[in-house]
Amino acid sequence: MTRVITVRRDVAAQAKEQAEDFRREMTRRGTLVVNLLSSPGAGKTSLLAATAVRWSDKQRMAVLVGDIATDRDAQRLAPLAPTVQLTTGGACHLDLSLVQRGLEALPTGNLDFLFIENVGNLVCPSSHDLGEHVRVVVLSTTEGDDKPAKYPKAFRTSRAMVISKIDLLPYFPFSIKSASDDALSIQPQLEILPLSALHATGIDRWCDYLVELRARLPQLCPTR
Amino acid sequence: MHEMSLVRTLLAQVGEIVAANGGSALRCVRVQVGPLAGVEPALMATAWKQLSADAGCGDATLEVEEVPLVAHCRGCDRTFQPLHFRFRCPTCGTAETETISGDGVILQSVVLADIEQGAGA
Repeated sequence: MTRVITVRRDVAAQAKEQAEDFRREMTRRGTLVVNLLSSPGAGKTSLLAATAVRWSDKQRMAVLVGDIATDRDAQRLAPLAPTVQLTTGGACHLDLSLVQRGLEALPTGNLDFLFIENVGNLVCPSSHDLGEHVRVVVLSTTEGDDKPAKYPKAFRTSRAMVISKIDLLPYFPFSIKSASDDALSIQPQLEILPLSALHATGIDRWCDYLVELRARLPQLCPTR
Repeated sequence: MHEMSLVRTLLAQVGEIVAANGGSALRCVRVQVGPLAGVEPALMATAWKQLSADAGCGDATLEVEEVPLVAHCRGCDRTFQPLHFRFRCPTCGTAETETISGDGVILQSVVLADIEQGAGA
């Protein structure tokens, strides 16, 4: 004799609850957590380096950087900001437990901003809530402007889209308007921030955007 | 490809349900996935075949139902199915829309069979 047990539960429900707890804890600490998603080579590390240079000692920031192998990104960023490399050993995305371990390994928990540089991949990381307040997708001009339409979840689940490497616009057939139109049809409330980390163009606007978000932390994530 | 880790999570949750219904054998697991779940049903089926036997559910089948994406407009309070992932409300044009289904993996139900007791048991 068979019985059907009705469940109707999101398989990720427990992970989402844990991410929510982490988010609330970081809100209590006054730390804005930013999860950066992109394809490999879109310029996440360069963006973070330019951010650290721009803020210098004005904001306390730290970075958890995820890669499948090597600590090269951490080596690049360590002179500029406290950084912990998270090496996934083949996994295509970071998860909350890795982030929590990385946070504990940082020399200080007293932070204004915690950046999580996810594994370069526009697919899997978009399905994993790392307890961030803000998810930012970075799209470089060298990748082509069709990526929002091809990888909708990464853009749907993001609050902002950085268009990086705009200094290369004269050399690549990339339309900011086309990429923005597609991204906004998928996520109509997306903030769009074109910039060049190499030339420090648009970095002020990016930094101001993050500072404004941090000022609204309790509204972004009530601690209850 | 995170279908393997997803199926591991699913098997753990199903294992708890089976344990809570002692004396039953797992026959079938039914899940719903939507277009924004970030999951490929064929890869999920492959992962199920590889992992379910190790979890002691070797004969149990996985049924994956693909469901549409549905969004709700806060402006005009209508629901709609976003075509080509276009989330602006097709009725009033507002950007104030939210996904209400089709962006996750839902464990719908579990089919269990009573294990027949031996004579005299």
